[in-house]
Amino acid sequence: MAHRREGIKGSIDSLLLCLIGQQPMYGYQIIKELKERSQGYFQFKEGTLYPALHRLERVGLIRGKWQTLPSGQQRKYYHITDKGLLSLVDKRSQWQDFLAAMNLIIQPVSE
Amino acid sequence: MTTVLSHYLDNVRENLRLDVSSEREVIHELETHIEEELQELKEAGLSEEEAASTCLSLLGSAKLVARQIYEAHSQGTWSQALLAAMPHLLFGLLFALNWWRGIGWLLGMLVLVLSMAVYGWWRGKPAWLFPWLGYSLLPVAVAGLLLLYLPEGLAWVAILLYIPMALWLLYSITVQTIKRDWLYSSLMLFPLPIIIGWFLAVEPVDKFSEYWLQRVQDFAPWIGLSFLALAVTVATFVRLRKRWLKVSVLVVSGLITLTMIAYYTGGRLSIPAFLILIVVMLLLLLSPALVERTLKHTGQKSVA
Repeated sequence: MAHRREGIKGSIDSLLLCLIGQQPMYGYQIIKELKERSQGYFQFKEGTLYPALHRLERVGLIRGKWQTLPSGQQRKYYHITDKGLLSLVDKRSQWQDFLAAMNLIIQPVSE
Repeated sequence: MTTVLSHYLDNVRENLRLDVSSEREVIHELETHIEEELQELKEAGLSEEEAASTCLSLLGSAKLVARQIYEAHSQGTWSQALLAAMPHLLFGLLFALNWWRGIGWLLGMLVLVLSMAVYGWWRGKPAWLFPWLGYSLLPVAVAGLLLLYLPEGLAWVAILLYIPMALWLLYSITVQTIKRDWLYSSLMLFPLPIIIGWFLAVEPVDKFSEYWLQRVQDFAPWIGLSFLALAVTVATFVRLRKRWLKVSVLVVSGLITLTMIAYYTGGRLSIPAFLILIVVMLLLLLSPALVERTLKHTGQKSVA
């Protein structure tokens, strides 16, 4: 569990940018989406999610907008910004390089 | 929403230490999240109490959530840092460029400081307000000092009326600031020991004579430099995220600046006065934390 927490901590910005880059999302939706797509691997606590969302918003990678639903309920949807899209491209490329390098070492050597 | 979850949100709010509009937005966002989560848990068959307890365990510690959200917001932009450093810079320039003897410059500075303090207070007390607020209280202190030089009979009447009123004003503004965040109260009071240090170093013995003015003139470049150091400190304070770093930067810079005053005035600031000033500085910077704790305890007791 501890290694999983460390994994989440290190990649939280990439995960959030990736999800919000696909469509604007609100906090609760992000938690459910991450859990579902990772088949339960990524289980964010709200206490991890909101500080990360606010940090990304402060540095201008995402932008939050309040929307009122027909039911009267309000939700803060996060949208990716142009700066966020550039950062996402960069993070994706870093991640792919990292995975390729890891695979070269981790995979068993074929005889 | 259940009492336990409302209490959780109150706990987050108490520890957030953000300006009013950011605080309102953060709490509203967490509230909408909790409501949605509670609804889903109840639809999944949990009772009200079970849903609340599950929700609470998913949220994590209120203090930790508040601290992490605070750290996401606490780093001001460079423009906010510049705005916060501006009163120190202007005060430094007043001496460095020898404008301090021009009544026009002094009045201009006074109007600017008061306008910025009122504007910042009205805009929900952002971080940049507090250095301006500190300087806006300076005329109150200076007027009190000048009263000591009135003819004897008048001086006592003025002192008996003026000092309690001035102390009450200072106290109520400090308490209001501590309620926002005790660190801002330290930021507001930060230049006070430096100003007192310079005042003691140029020591007006009987009255504000031409000789005294000449002495201020001699030290003016160093006075300017010390306020430039305060400006750099305040800009750094605004840019830092962690609270312990913010406090440390104020304490270290205060100590260096007071030492600088003692050094450049060539012994005019006596060792006991220097040591007392250090104690005063530490009290001004750190006691707001204790006052905040006392205010919270008093508030909790009155609610209970």
